[in-house]
Amino acid sequence: MAMAALRKEGRRILLSPNPAIAIRSAILSDELTAPLGARSISTQIVRNRMKSVKNIQKITKAMKMVAASKLRGVQVRTENSRGIWQPFTALLGDIPSVDVKKNVIVTISSDKGLCGGINSTSVKVSKALYKLTSGPEKEPQYVILGEKGKAQLVRDSKKSIALNITEIQKNPLNYTQVSVLADDILKNVEFDALRIVYNKFQSVVSFIPTVATVLSPEAVEKESEAGGKLGELDQYEIEGGDTKSEILQNLAEFQFSCVMFNAVLENACSELGARMSAMDSSSRNAGDMLDRLTLTYNRTRQASITTELIEIISGASALTG
Amino acid sequence: MASAASSAAAPFWRAAGMTYITYSNICASLVRSCLKEPHKTDALSREKVHFSVSKWAGGKPEKPTIRSDSPDA
Repeated sequence: MAMAALRKEGRRILLSPNPAIAIRSAILSDELTAPLGARSISTQIVRNRMKSVKNIQKITKAMKMVAASKLRGVQVRTENSRGIWQPFTALLGDIPSVDVKKNVIVTISSDKGLCGGINSTSVKVSKALYKLTSGPEKEPQYVILGEKGKAQLVRDSKKSIALNITEIQKNPLNYTQVSVLADDILKNVEFDALRIVYNKFQSVVSFIPTVATVLSPEAVEKESEAGGKLGELDQYEIEGGDTKSEILQNLAEFQFSCVMFNAVLENACSELGARMSAMDSSSRNAGDMLDRLTLTYNRTRQASITTELIEIISGASALTG
Repeated sequence: MASAASSAAAPFWRAAGMTYITYSNICASLVRSCLKEPHKTDALSREKVHFSVSKWAGGKPEKPTIRSDSPDA
């Protein structure tokens, strides 16, 4: 697109080196015209463009390296954190089809941009969940982690946002931070079921949007009466002086905290991987652009040399002949 | 142990308004402060908390509060 414009500009300058037309085109597209009064075709524009494209390529390459190095560390921690919530799912199950009144959708997104499409997919899934879980007297609410998710959801779901949390990645992610966050959410929002939307990290090029469902202790009680996996909870023997509902409450809170920890780590991993591939394709595009600009540059340069030669030779032959 | 010691009513921390998460965080920070150097500084670096929360009411965000560097309530 930019190349076509450049080629058009070059042709315009070649055919009519009229200063009036040069002025008009200067008004229309400021950086794309030759300096006024230039007799031969100028390669200045193309050279400026090449310099800026090369700088962009360097920057995106550096960003890719940074993301790759960060990814290695976070990936190890993410894989280790998967073991934290698996016992909970084995015990309490993950039932996305549970039908409760108060749903809270926790959308995990990134604070920084330039990371490909992961934030848009998370928001899309959240909106679909919202539609699925809303109905008469059932108004789901959003809790948004991260700036990018907030920017997208604020556009049409302003009224349903309960909490917005940012600046999570200032210190390296640790369990204490996520658990304090989970605690804040528990204290501020009423819920029967929490649905956490995040991008699960499969590999460096594939991120799967997933939903993890955590039920509140009362909802667990209701489901256990309904039978199924949760109905087997009564088979467990409870030690100590706690009652079943107390244990369920502790377990539910801890489950939320663990699932949040894993979700935040997976999303961070996916963000770094997506940024890596986005910056990689960006530097590749910049390289392609640079190749095409180099060709235009050489053509323009050779055309101007040829024109000068023609002028000189015709001038010389006019003198002698 | 502690739960058996307390009565059949809620454990003391639940009655005080803490969640299980806060309780386990306090226990964890107690364990971390029992460590010797150099493991202590490593563990304390894993305790840092920083994020900014802003509640929304009726489609409008209120002023964000920043919770920083104090891992427990």
